[in-house]
Amino acid sequence: MMIVEYIQSALLLIAAFLVIVSAVGFISLSKDMKNVVYGRIHIIGIFDIACVIAMIGLGQYLLAGIYFILAPFTAHAIANAFYKSEDVENNVELNVVEEDEDNSNPFIVNKSKVQELEQKDSEKLKTDDRFTISTLEIIEEE
Amino acid sequence: MDILIISKYILIIALIIMMIVALRASAYKTTSMGLLGSSVVVVAFSVALLVFGEMYNLAFYRDISLALIFFGFVGTVAFSVVLGGDK
Repeated sequence: MMIVEYIQSALLLIAAFLVIVSAVGFISLSKDMKNVVYGRIHIIGIFDIACVIAMIGLGQYLLAGIYFILAPFTAHAIANAFYKSEDVENNVELNVVEEDEDNSNPFIVNKSKVQELEQKDSEKLKTDDRFTISTLEIIEEE
Repeated sequence: MDILIISKYILIIALIIMMIVALRASAYKTTSMGLLGSSVVVVAFSVALLVFGEMYNLAFYRDISLALIFFGFVGTVAFSVVLGGDK
């Protein structure tokens, strides 16, 4: 029976060591680092495995198995939610700013409308007489 | 003093440190960090409950721990789905 206790206490000590390492890593990551949230989620993976080891050391094998299966789903769900809603660095869709149309004021023109007008093949530009497009043909002599 | 008791106390201290760190992380700017911190606190508390329940013969400690882990997971995933939206 003594050897079982030694194995249990070794597992608990390994778990405690991993928990402290993950706590130090979690708090010491710089805020200015790129993709720091994903790094923190990765560190929490170490904490999850430390908890699984601690549960095995305490003799709760069913809980350890359940948590071993559930932990990656949690990490993925949090990372996915962060990417879709708050990750301005990587998600291009979050950087698109919607412009309000205000037709009552003639001096405020929507940026996309101006860009559309400035294009060469714009329909408004073709019908407007003030603008002419001239092409110069260069014939190379043989 | 038995080595198993000592290692249990060391694990409890480590879990308390992790809980404090997770509470600090919950106060960071993004909502996802709050979600991450709260899920860590729940898991650390359930493991601490397993240790204390075995040491002091608490009633239903395994069931409470299982409920904490399972419903903590469900809550985290549900909040993540709401936070992510339907994009």
